[in-house]
Amino acid sequence: MGENTPFDEMYNADGSVREPYRALSEWLGEQPEKGLALMQVDAEAIFRKLGITFAVYGSEEGTEKVIPFDVIPRIIAANEWRKLSRGIEQRVKALNAFLYDIYHRQEILKAGRIPEKLILNNAAFCPQMMGLEPARGVYAHIIGVDIVRVGPDEFYVLEDNLRTPSGVSYMLEDREAMMMLAPDLFQRSKVAPVETYPENLRRTLESVAPAGAGRNPVIAVLTPGIYNSAYFEHSFLADQMGAQLCEGQDLFVDGGKVYMRTTTGPERVDVIYRRIDDDYLDPLTFRPDSMLGVPGIFDAYRAGNVTLVNAPGTGIADDKAVYTYVPEIIEFYLGEKALLNNVPTYNCTDVDQRAWVLENIGDLVVKEVHGSGGYGMMVGPTSTKAQHEEFKKKIIARPDNYIVQPTLALSTCPTHINNDVAPRHVDLRPYVLVGDEVRITPGGLTRVALKKGSLVVNSSQGGGTKDTWVLED
Amino acid sequence: MRIAIDHRLSVTVPQGTVQAVFHLLLTPPSGPTQTVESWSVEGTGIGNAGRFTDGFGNAAHLVNQLRPEGEITIHVRGEVTTRDTHGVLGRPAGEPVPALYRRLTELTKAPEALYEPFRDSRDNRLSICHALMARVGDVLGLPEEPEAPKQMQADGGQAQVQEAGEVAERPAAADYAHLFIGAARALDIPARYVVGYRLVDGEDGLHAWAEAFDEGLGWIGFDPHMQICPTDRYVRLAIGLDAEAAPTLRTVPVAEVVQVAKVAAA
Repeated sequence: MGENTPFDEMYNADGSVREPYRALSEWLGEQPEKGLALMQVDAEAIFRKLGITFAVYGSEEGTEKVIPFDVIPRIIAANEWRKLSRGIEQRVKALNAFLYDIYHRQEILKAGRIPEKLILNNAAFCPQMMGLEPARGVYAHIIGVDIVRVGPDEFYVLEDNLRTPSGVSYMLEDREAMMMLAPDLFQRSKVAPVETYPENLRRTLESVAPAGAGRNPVIAVLTPGIYNSAYFEHSFLADQMGAQLCEGQDLFVDGGKVYMRTTTGPERVDVIYRRIDDDYLDPLTFRPDSMLGVPGIFDAYRAGNVTLVNAPGTGIADDKAVYTYVPEIIEFYLGEKALLNNVPTYNCTDVDQRAWVLENIGDLVVKEVHGSGGYGMMVGPTSTKAQHEEFKKKIIARPDNYIVQPTLALSTCPTHINNDVAPRHVDLRPYVLVGDEVRITPGGLTRVALKKGSLVVNSSQGGGTKDTWVLED
Repeated sequence: MRIAIDHRLSVTVPQGTVQAVFHLLLTPPSGPTQTVESWSVEGTGIGNAGRFTDGFGNAAHLVNQLRPEGEITIHVRGEVTTRDTHGVLGRPAGEPVPALYRRLTELTKAPEALYEPFRDSRDNRLSICHALMARVGDVLGLPEEPEAPKQMQADGGQAQVQEAGEVAERPAAADYAHLFIGAARALDIPARYVVGYRLVDGEDGLHAWAEAFDEGLGWIGFDPHMQICPTDRYVRLAIGLDAEAAPTLRTVPVAEVVQVAKVAAA
């Protein structure tokens, strides 16, 4: 890993085409001049029509943008996917077992496998969750695992995202757009469907309804509102599932149960897919100044009258400092070796490691422990000397606030750039649902860094998306 | 000893409130130090309340009030038989792991000067906790002293504790408990906040103290405000990481709450 030449997902070193990309390669060769450019224009129109936009914080131009979509799909072979999905399933099972333990007997802390203070004094640890028995023992039902590929057989997990991962609507819309743009390409390959996601989401949510909910539990999607950058996705998913989209003020608690205000009177709600962060979920239990949440909703959850998805307090399992212990967590609960790699992470509170980090900062990636979305991070090789010095100072001032990792040579995929095809770095976020069973949608969201050489794929930092194909045998 | 409790809470929510939600921790547990003989919590909406156990093992009510008008009264009454165990509570069932109570909170930050002398102590936990209790008394002053007690802040500075006659948001004893808890946690001793009642002639009986965990004896009560371990004159009501985590009543929207507890020998 970290070697000079990144792994090209389409071409072997000798220039021959890798097997999964054969059909795509032929198709690309058949496209007329400017064919891809025209397709790109069509794609833009499709996305504008679908209304898929995202908000860029701190951007000076209009805040709503269409996320750039690349018309060349990314392709994963069936055997590659089998391996990946086994690793993902292992990870989400272990992390849910970890959450159950942390909020009950804390055996892993007693065994000294993770430092107690790292968990108990962590802001993401939620003492109010202690002793609660979530339906089916599941805390994190909806997960988006960020994965990068560095070789034919080498995948690394960057982050587990167990809070409220977003982006699944792009996965679905990317597929829909791709099918409109290149129906002929789909005829040449057997592509695993992703359209089942909303139905699987619904099944997952139904399977974790509280005991008294009956055969057809009522599901609501709770959104912070139209100003949230992912509002489109909230309304899209509610629509696709046939669930109600609610804001905090649409829900209320009565007699320890949660109800939705409707034109025909209050309707009991059994399962809430909430896209509001823990802190803002319930002013009675969490931040008292929250205007977004529902007062008393957490108590109703504790009373066993409603299921919150994901459970509050799941952030302790995807905290960047806890991340380094995930292989340990998998071994402790499942008795297995981790199938997917963790990126080696340097601990700056250790004097020797810090000294090494400061010396080699130009080759490393520095991330804020509580940062996300590509904000507050530095990629050494693409940063200036001044930036290196700035981050050195930051690390020295607050070594516990940063984690440092080697710069991974993210794999590249063929990408349409200025009417030409060029390799660009990509990552992958598969979406996982955990309820009565673990359901992993084949593929996920591929994010692509459109700037040449860039390793930052976040849409807020100039990244785009690709349709992701998992081939069936 | 049999103790009778009569605890009234008057709640005034802002005018025009459409819905008020109350979170009540007003149901004492039976345990090694006390047996609840009778107990009732009365008030508008209580009959319809959601009942559950919170993360610290407390019995809680969730009460909602639609268009509340004027003052809402919650009336808590009951009798509890208590036993003097020299403060030892042991390990009651249904509680979270003691390690939880090593978590630091905003309210339980103690100045280093308070606990540092004990850092390398070879004494057992029990002795250290007794010594800590005495230190907190030295630092904050004892309630019998004529002067207003001083509060030592996390930075070591001194500030006046509330003026006489001012309505306290929580019992003054809470500050003593917090300081003790913060110091104990800094020494890696799990410690928690207890809100409850104390039998005391002619005064408000609502009180707060601390409990520290000893591997041998389990939880042991320490009342740094009174400088004793709780006796059979104490009734435990609820526990938490600090006063914020274990309020007798929490409301949305924020309401004005006045509460008085009459505690008498039955």
